[in-house]
Amino acid sequence: MLARTLVYFAYLLKTSEHYTQTKRFFYNLIENPQSRMKSYFDIFMVCLVMLSVFFLVYNVEHALTETGEFFEQFVVVVFIVEYLLRAWLYSDSHRIIIEEYEKAKYLNTRFSLFKSLRRIIGKKFEYMLSLFAIIDLLAILPSYRPLRILRILLIFRLFKLFRYSNSIKVFADILSSKRFELITLAIFMGILVFISSLAIYLFENDSIGGNVRDLYDAFYWSIVTLSTVGYGDITPITIGGRLVTVTLILTGLGVLSFFTSIIVAAFNDKMYTLRENRTYAELSRYKNFIIICGFGRVGQEIAKLFEIDKQPFIVIDKDENNVFLAKQKQYLSIQDDASKNTVLINAGINRGATAILCTTGNDVTNVYVTLTSRYLNPDISIISRANRQDNVNKLYQAGANNVIQPFEIAGLLAAEYVGQPVAFEAILGILQNQKQILMETLTVQPGSLLENKQIGELDFEKRKLTLVGVISSNKKHLKHPNRYKLKNQHFYFNPQKQFELQEQDIVVVLGREYTIEHFQDQIEKSRLAPGK
Amino acid sequence: MKKIAVFGYNRLSYEAISRLDIGTHDILIIETDESLAAIAREKGFQTAAIDFRSDQDLKSIGIGKNVDIIFCFLPEDSKNVFLTISARAIDKDVDIIAIVEDPQSDEKLIAAGANKIIDPYQICGQKIHELIKKPDITNIMDHTVFGRHDLHMAEITIPEHSYLENTYTSELTLNEKHNLVLIGVVDKELDEQLHFAIGEKDHKLDAGDIMVVLGPSREIRAFKKEVSHVSTDKI
Repeated sequence: MLARTLVYFAYLLKTSEHYTQTKRFFYNLIENPQSRMKSYFDIFMVCLVMLSVFFLVYNVEHALTETGEFFEQFVVVVFIVEYLLRAWLYSDSHRIIIEEYEKAKYLNTRFSLFKSLRRIIGKKFEYMLSLFAIIDLLAILPSYRPLRILRILLIFRLFKLFRYSNSIKVFADILSSKRFELITLAIFMGILVFISSLAIYLFENDSIGGNVRDLYDAFYWSIVTLSTVGYGDITPITIGGRLVTVTLILTGLGVLSFFTSIIVAAFNDKMYTLRENRTYAELSRYKNFIIICGFGRVGQEIAKLFEIDKQPFIVIDKDENNVFLAKQKQYLSIQDDASKNTVLINAGINRGATAILCTTGNDVTNVYVTLTSRYLNPDISIISRANRQDNVNKLYQAGANNVIQPFEIAGLLAAEYVGQPVAFEAILGILQNQKQILMETLTVQPGSLLENKQIGELDFEKRKLTLVGVISSNKKHLKHPNRYKLKNQHFYFNPQKQFELQEQDIVVVLGREYTIEHFQDQIEKSRLAPGK
Repeated sequence: MKKIAVFGYNRLSYEAISRLDIGTHDILIIETDESLAAIAREKGFQTAAIDFRSDQDLKSIGIGKNVDIIFCFLPEDSKNVFLTISARAIDKDVDIIAIVEDPQSDEKLIAAGANKIIDPYQICGQKIHELIKKPDITNIMDHTVFGRHDLHMAEITIPEHSYLENTYTSELTLNEKHNLVLIGVVDKELDEQLHFAIGEKDHKLDAGDIMVVLGPSREIRAFKKEVSHVSTDKI
């Protein structure tokens, strides 16, 4: 009967929106490494811990005030709540019950409530036995003033701080990656210390006239000497003792350098992953960015232009020289294979990337990355470079929105330069915004001064603009001449005086940057003007 | 008839020359790799296999005599620089267009005497950048000026005794009469620069000035014909 209610309750929790939302909220608050809320929570907890430790330290010499007492109680309550929340978030108990129940149904065995409960409790115990949970538990114990030894628990409060910073995780990772070497070294050191402690005790104990009173002193001296600290509070005076010392010092140097080199090597290995994580963390702050796959010549040119525009972007390249170049220019970059799904997902192809550019010099790579990107994100805009003519179609098939061939355009420009040098300069100038002359688009906003106006009424010449044409998908214009089909719109070149601009039409003009801006402002203002 | 010497047969040279009018351009491809030269011949171009390092060889194909334009499309920047210097030394007026691989070779080529540098990667990068920033304009340019549709940008030099002589740009009504949009003007009275037609300055058109217009090729041809029509009623 109890089993039945428990299973029913478990299913209830599973389907309850409220429950899932609450749990997710707390997960985001306390555990989710990528959530903003967690950073605030962490900062709050750090301040709390520091403050409480400060009060406890203050309490060593002075009596505690009312506020101090109250604060201590408050802190303990917060810690307890945090501990319980973490225990709750650690595992989904209702999920375990459902799992067990369905397994039993499937195998046609009896649902054992006892077994499920055992699993649930086992999971919670797993949490409680984890290092940080133990620290949390010990931190909760308030310092009972008469018992001075409990002041040690103060230290545990400080250990709690490590939980809120990533650094300890990194450090622990680094140490654990070299645990085999470190354990070997530890064993060697242990034997060394054992031998030297015994030796120095035999040579220098105080019955003979030395400074070493007992084995504990011998041990203390060994460590101080081995680590090359040498306080000088216990010094050897006999010849035997000094011999032992010399041996220990020399061996100590060896051990220490061995230890250092292990750590350095471990850090070196980890440094790469560390940097990657930092790049990803920074990336998660961007809202609309562009992914550049391939930092060859084309990628470098694009990055330069984006930098001027202040357009955020991230560079992915397999070659470490290229990535090094990118990092030198302070570009966000990742050294990895862009055709791997995980790399693109981590780079945020589904999380804020507006476009992805495949600019490597290898068409096979470009096709593959295009395919992968299209698969991962059916809506993102993919622009790819094609090095050979025959691969253009393949890229479109793979899902690219636009394919650019560097040599085709260059050849075109060369031909234009030869045939019509002045016109060529005109095109180039317009395209590259070199002379502050722009070709720009102005959208006819509803309610603006352009709507329902005929071309003849708008004096473009007076505004120092040249009208090139109008882009529109509006069927009203279909009867006008000079119509050129673009993707799902038409471009009306040199529209006649009677051409009437409709809402959402796009006017293409040529003019100086500030003239166009000025006109755009006027359009905006007319849109917002009341009483139109 | 303009004679063009193309050094190096590759994607770029192919794209460039396939867009040139064979009727008005005499193209000679210099390529020492026999297999590439064979491909060029298959496509109908003349080839020669001279050594660009020898001034004698260069003169033998006409540099200094009748070659008007040289395309330096060799695979290495250093070779292009060498070729440019050699050619410039032989002929002070020839038009030299060079491709560049390393962006730092840009200045070296100009110093060597090249008139125009083409950096395909830079152009590609800019094109992609345009695509992202101004997709509409790039689309239009692609479909019209650069491409398949009929709109082209063309330059028209005003010949002597044309009816356009002594007209002001503000008086032209290209839009209505000829269905052309005036993009800019090179007014030789002022300088050799292209001045865009944005109503800032009124230019007087004289013989030798150049107009850049945008419009359907049919209208451009018609306008060109009209412009070269010698005016008889201007005394």
